Formats: sequence, structure tokens, C-alpha cells
Amino acid sequence: MKFGNLLIAGIVTGSIYAMFAVCVSVWYRVSNILNLAVGDFAMVGALGVDNLYRVKGLPLPVAVITTLVVVAVFAYVYDQVVLRLAQDGRRPIEGIVVTFFFTFALSFFIDGLAKVLFGTDVHAAPTLWGGQALTLGSLNFPRAGLLVLACAIIIGGAFWVYIKFTLGGKALEASGENSVGARIVGIDTRQYRRLIFLGTAVIAAVFGIVESPITGFTYLSGATISLTGFIAAAYGGFRKPGRALVAGLFIGVLEAMLGGYVSAQYGDTVLYAILAAAILAWPRALGFESAVSG
Amino acid sequence: MNQFLAASSRAFQWSSAVASSRAARRAPRGGVPTVIVLVVGAIIVLNYGLLYTGSVFVLSACYAIVTAGMAVQIGFSQQIAFSQSVFFGVGAYGVAMLNTHLHMSVLLSGVIMVVAAALVALLLGSVVTRASGLALAVATLMLPLIAVGYVSGTGFLGGPVGAPLSGTLWPGSGSTTLVALGGGLIVVVLLAAVVFMASRILSSDIGLELFVLGVDERTAAALGVRTPRRKLELFVLGCVCAALGGVVYAGTQQFVPETVIDPTAELALLIMLFIGGRRSVFGAVIGALVIQYLQGASNWVSVNILIVEGVLLTVVLLVDPEGLSGIVQTGIAWLRRKSAPPAADGELAAAGNAGQEAPDEIAGLSLSSVLPDGGQADGAAARHGGPRDATLLEVRSVFKEYGGLSVLHDVSLALPERGLFALCGPNGAGKSTLLNVIGGSVAPSSGEVIFSGTDITRRPPHERFYQGISRTFQAVHLIKGRTVLDNVAVACLASHTASIVTRIGRSRLDAARAKAARTLAELGMAHLADREVSSLTLEMQRMVELARALAPSPRLMLLDEPASGLSEEQRQRLAALLVTLAERTCVLLVEHDLALVAQVSERIFVLSGGHLVFDGGPADFRSSPVVNSLLVGS
Repeated sequence: MKFGNLLIAGIVTGSIYAMFAVCVSVWYRVSNILNLAVGDFAMVGALGVDNLYRVKGLPLPVAVITTLVVVAVFAYVYDQVVLRLAQDGRRPIEGIVVTFFFTFALSFFIDGLAKVLFGTDVHAAPTLWGGQALTLGSLNFPRAGLLVLACAIIIGGAFWVYIKFTLGGKALEASGENSVGARIVGIDTRQYRRLIFLGTAVIAAVFGIVESPITGFTYLSGATISLTGFIAAAYGGFRKPGRALVAGLFIGVLEAMLGGYVSAQYGDTVLYAILAAAILAWPRALGFESAVSG
Repeated sequence: MNQFLAASSRAFQWSSAVASSRAARRAPRGGVPTVIVLVVGAIIVLNYGLLYTGSVFVLSACYAIVTAGMAVQIGFSQQIAFSQSVFFGVGAYGVAMLNTHLHMSVLLSGVIMVVAAALVALLLGSVVTRASGLALAVATLMLPLIAVGYVSGTGFLGGPVGAPLSGTLWPGSGSTTLVALGGGLIVVVLLAAVVFMASRILSSDIGLELFVLGVDERTAAALGVRTPRRKLELFVLGCVCAALGGVVYAGTQQFVPETVIDPTAELALLIMLFIGGRRSVFGAVIGALVIQYLQGASNWVSVNILIVEGVLLTVVLLVDPEGLSGIVQTGIAWLRRKSAPPAADGELAAAGNAGQEAPDEIAGLSLSSVLPDGGQADGAAARHGGPRDATLLEVRSVFKEYGGLSVLHDVSLALPERGLFALCGPNGAGKSTLLNVIGGSVAPSSGEVIFSGTDITRRPPHERFYQGISRTFQAVHLIKGRTVLDNVAVACLASHTASIVTRIGRSRLDAARAKAARTLAELGMAHLADREVSSLTLEMQRMVELARALAPSPRLMLLDEPASGLSEEQRQRLAALLVTLAERTCVLLVEHDLALVAQVSERIFVLSGGHLVFDGGPADFRSSPVVNSLLVGS
């Protein structure tokens, strides 16, 4: 049952990619800024809980809640200081490229801070649901993986319900479609930008905490996570969280299959080659706008 | 003082057009930054070459070679491709391998690797540059990821450890001093050469093409820019600069660590570019210097380099999105205003007064008033001669479907060599689509477009532009950040068939600007030439678009709602001008204002739901029941 186990592993990693991709694309819809720092919040979540629990000796629930609160406060302050200066001033900074570099700088800043606070070793948040992998026939379900899946389903589902069925979700949609228009009809787009930035930061931190027992994190892990989420979100044109989710799952499964059947060493290389080829072959169908005859 | 300011401002400027000072126009382009790099670089290498400062400087110069190329490719032309770290690795690893295994000198292997990189970039680029914008960015984002996976698993490249080499950039053997200083000087000379080349290209006529390409690929194509070719050239240029940087890196550091090809290396290069100023070649060099110096400083800064870089990048971008070069330019402009001598003050005041006397108004607005012989002075009509009634454009039963939606259904029309024709119809009738089909930015599902006897149905927009089709867009598509003169000059460039390498030698931008100035003078807009376009009123912006469409002496002008947003008085002025234009060329006008249409056009086409429902003269147009029910609503 190699295939089945690879599929399970692929779905677990894929659901992580999917969640980060959803975070990237939802916030992009609201703010028109690509957030490359989303993975760094995950890293801070994992290493923060590890530090408070293992080094400082706080009880686990306290460590988790403290970490999430710190992440939320940090995201709030960042939005209030940097994003407000960049976007709400007299001369708002526009263009996907320049605004992208703000989150890029944020990512560097968080990584640097994490290096000072947590050191350079590989650490992970404590396992929340320990024990042997659950088995069904010859299929293995690692508990940490199941926890990740459960979180993905619960948080992803809540997110979907919020966007699809609440007034807040509609307003959020409007902010993304046309921010000037949304402001004219009385939607405070800045408030939604802040809300979603804060929300995605906390969600990322939660995923960092539940995922870190599987892979382990260093202060530099954030960039890799962001990158995969970013790539998956790109396949949804950065504006379609649903497609980003599917792309994330697909990339996770493809990665596991290539690692299992093609080459453990060069699996990722082949994966990225396939992803690049797909963009070049079907730029339109995959949601990349083509300026040639737009 | 003021001369110093002028020189430093020129060093940072990405184009003389931005501040368009007269001094900057006269000076040989690209000279100032090149001389600064050469002189300052040589002084630093000779004085500190053996010290730590000198080695950090040489290292930063290696990266500056890469970032200078990125300023052209990514900053100026906005072709975001993440291929630099990979080609840096190709250059560096290539030299290490050739030197270690085949015992070639670093210089020879460097030349081989730069040529090889150019060939690989050409092959790779011909695939990836078919993509635009985001697709290009994400597709090339995979390159560093693929490369690092390959290198770390490949034994003979040294895997995660890296590859050492024994050769040095300075050819032959000598004392350690000679090798270090000589190698450093070679790097400085190469950097100066790259800066020279990049600055020359950016300030040339092709630089203007690249700027438009960066702002909007579609507009660029409509103005005759061969976008696929330019994109490929830019990709190759960026890759060659990166490979050259890698070559000198290997030759001066004598060791190639795996980290040079890591995706974080790509990010580091981008940080250098954006801190320095993405559109300024000189700024990119400064950015590389600043970041390398911070990383090399052996104190708390280099320990906390990530925090420092993060804060620095945030602060610089908040102050000015154009980075340090933008900040310096703003500062210089401020200082110049402060320290301007009284004479210049007087000149400025005079210019200001002249501006007030002639505000955003166009004096004549009629070609015939300027040109007594009915606007044939620049030979457009003489060249395209031909009997007035000969068919110029023929659209033969064109269909266009998007998915299942039919936008154009069996549309046929023919236009003669001269005259004013109008295309009307309710919103969504397919007017703009028809214009796009004629202009070439949209391919019809079936049917033919014949221009001057040639089937152009499958020809790209830029070729149609050369054949004499020019157009304006429904929304104003001017190039922000450039002057009125440059916006018109874009349409007069003779560089379309040239390669960007030829522009290192000489630019023909002045010829294009001269032609543009003539057109502006004809339209009575000469006083606006040095204004930045976004500072103009809507009427003036539309007039600039019209001037741009008119400047290349087109045979067919496609004007998409040129009167929208204009006042009644402005419309009347425009109408008079259009009538004059139609004396010498064929004008197809999309317009909602039925009174204007009936007043000026000799024949009117009405589209509804993709069908051509009316085709006739203004008298029939006024009395036609179809037109009345459709457009007037009674």
C-alpha cells in the first residue's frame, strides 16, 4: 500500500500548503499585497510555543495562547505602523512589486528576531496528540498528520462560511473587487485589511504549531513555507482562495508521489520543473493573466 | 556646487527625460555613472585592496554587476524574472569546474561561461518569455528551486559543501598583492562596462521602448514595440550580467559555496536592487555596496543582519518606492532649488510666467492654421498618395466569440484612403472588439482583415503599426512618469528592428523626439512638451494620445472615444481637428456622441449585439428608424 500511504502523506503536506495558499490569496484580495511573511508567522508560532514550554517551562495551553496573542499583537502593530504609512497616506504606494517588498522586509525582520530569540537549532512545538500512528489495514495515519488535516478542515471551513455567508464576508469580497467602490458604499477597507492580516497571521501560527512536530522548524523555515503557499496561490491567480486550496493539495500530493516513485533526492526538482512547465503551457487556464491580448 | 549637484543627479537618473534638464540632454549619456564607478572603484581597490574593506568592496562589485543588469530587466522594464541567482551560479560553478578539472585560466573559462550562459539564456528565454507578468515571475521562480535541488545532490559540483578553485581572476602568477589588486581592478572595469552599457540602453530610444513595455505590454505592442523580442533580449541581458557576476565572484573569492545558488541568494539580490532604487543602474550598484558592507561589518549589524535589512528596506521604501536613488534625487532637486543662482531663478520665473500665459490650452488646434497646404507638409498624404476612393481597409465577415458568447457576428466593412468614419452602437455592441480586431490585439474567430491589399488577419499588432495603423484607447493609455514629448516620441521610434546591443553605440532618441516635437508644434501643443503627462487635464491627455497616434503619419487612425469626458467646447475643438485630419488620412472613430458623429463623419456604421445594423451617410443616419430606436431610444 505504498500508494495509499504516499497519498495520505501528500494530503497532509498538501493541506498545509493549501492553508498557506488560502491565507496568501484571501489577504491579497483585500489588500492587493502579496504576503511573503505568512510562513514566518508559522515559524514564530512553532518556535515560540517550543521556547515558552520547553525553555521557560510554562504550561502548554498558556504557551500556545501567549504565542498566538503575541503574533496577533505584532501583526496589529505592523499594520498600524507600516501598512498604514504605506497605503493610507497621501501618496499610497501602489504596484504589486513594490508592496510585495514590504512583506518581504517583514519576513527578514521576523527571521532576524527569531534568530535572536530562539537560536539557530531545529526545534518543534510539543506533540499535541502523541502516540503510535493509527493503522487501517496497511495504511498508516500519523496522528500529527490527522491533527493538521482536522485543523485545515475546521479553519478552512470556518473561513469559507465567513466569506460565503456573512455580511463581513461580502464586504471583504467587495474590498477586493474594487477598493474605491467599496469605500464609497461605506465599507472600511482598511479595517478588513487589518482583520484579515491579523487573522491569517494567527492561522499561520496555529498551523506552524500543529505541523512542526512532523518536520521541525528553524528560524529560516518560514521562507520555504511561504514560497510553497505563494506558488499554490499563484495557480489561483492570487485572487481565488478555492483554486489556491486545490492547487495546494495537488502540489502536496504530487510532491509525495514524485518523492516516492521517481526519486527521493530529485523529487522536488522534478516537481518544480513540472510546475514551471504547466505555467508556460497553460498560462490562461491556470489563472495567470496574459497581457498579450488581455 | 550646482554643477556637482547636476552631475550627481545625472548619475542617479534613470533617464534624462524625467527631470529633463537641458544640461542632462547635452551631456553624453551614461558617462557620469561610469566614470564615478571607474574612478571611485579604482581608488578603493588600490588603497584598501589588501584590507578587509577592499575585499568587501570587490565582493559587492561582483554583486553590483548582477544588480545593474537587474535594474534594466526587472526595475526599468518590469520583466520580473527570478533567474539571476541561477545564472550567477552557472558562471561561478562553470569557472570553478573548468579551472579545477580542465586547468583553464579563470579569464578564459569566464569568457566561455558567459557565452555559454548567453546561449542557455537564449534557449530558456525563448520558452519562458512567452509568459507575461505574473506567469513569467512564478515560472522563473522555479528556476532557483530546481537549481538548488540539482546542485546539492550533485557530487562533482561539491554538493552542499561547495567548489573551490585554485585560479585567480588576475591572469598569470605574481605576488599576492598583485593578484588581489589586479583582480579587484578587473572587477571594477567590468562593473564600469556593465554600468555604461546599461545606462546607455536606458537612455536610448530602445530605453523608451523598454519603459513602455514595463508600463503596459499591450500599449507597447500597439505602438510598434516588438514585445516578444524585447522580452527575450532583456532576459538574456539579465542572465549574462548575472553569469558575469558569478564568473568574477569565483575568480576573486576562489570558492563557490552552494549558497550562491540558494533561493535566498535571489532574495538578497532583489533586496540590493530595491534598496538602491529599482530603476536606477547607479542606484543598483549603491544598493549592492550598502548590503554587502552591512553584511561584512563585523559588529552587531552583521550578527542581526536580517533585522537590519528588514528595517532598512521598510524605511527606504516608505520614504521613496524608488529606493535610495529616489531619495537622493529628491534631495538633489531640493538642494538645487535652494541653491539656484539668481539668473536661473529669473529663467525659471520666466518659464513659469510663460506657462501661466499659456495654461492647458491649445492655441490653434487646427492643422490647417499651422500648415497652409492642408496638413500635407510632412508628406503623409504625398507618400500614401493614391486616389481618395481606393479601398484602404477591408473587414470581411468577421466573427468573434468568447466561449459561447458571440461578440461580433458577420461584420464586414470597407474604408477608403481618406475620410472620417464613425462606429456607433450601445454599450457592449462590440465596437471596441472590432477596433481591437483591426488593431491586432484581438484575433477574430473567423473572417479576414485586409489592409492596403494585404491580408493582416494573423499579423501581430506591432507589424500593423509599421504598416500604418495607429490607435488610441478608450481609457487614456499614456505613460506616466514621462514627458509629453516622450509620450509622442514613442510612436516615432525607428528602433523597432534594432537589437538593444546596438544602442550602446548611439541612440536615435533625439530624432524621434524631434519628430514628436514637430507633431506637437503642428497641434499647437509645443509648450506642453516638457510637462509630465499625469499633470495634464483630461482634454490635454487625450490630445497627447491623439498626437501620439498622428505622429508616425499613419494611414489609418483608430480612435476609441476620444471625446469621452470632454466638455462641449472641447468636443467642438476636437471635431474641427478630426475633420482636418481626415483630409490626409483615414480616421475610424468610435463615439457615443451622436450629434458629433453626424456632424463630422461622412459615413457611419452602427453595431448592435455584434451585428452591423446600419451603414450609411449622416443624413440617413439621422432619419434611420433602426438608429433612432437603438441609440436615441425613441
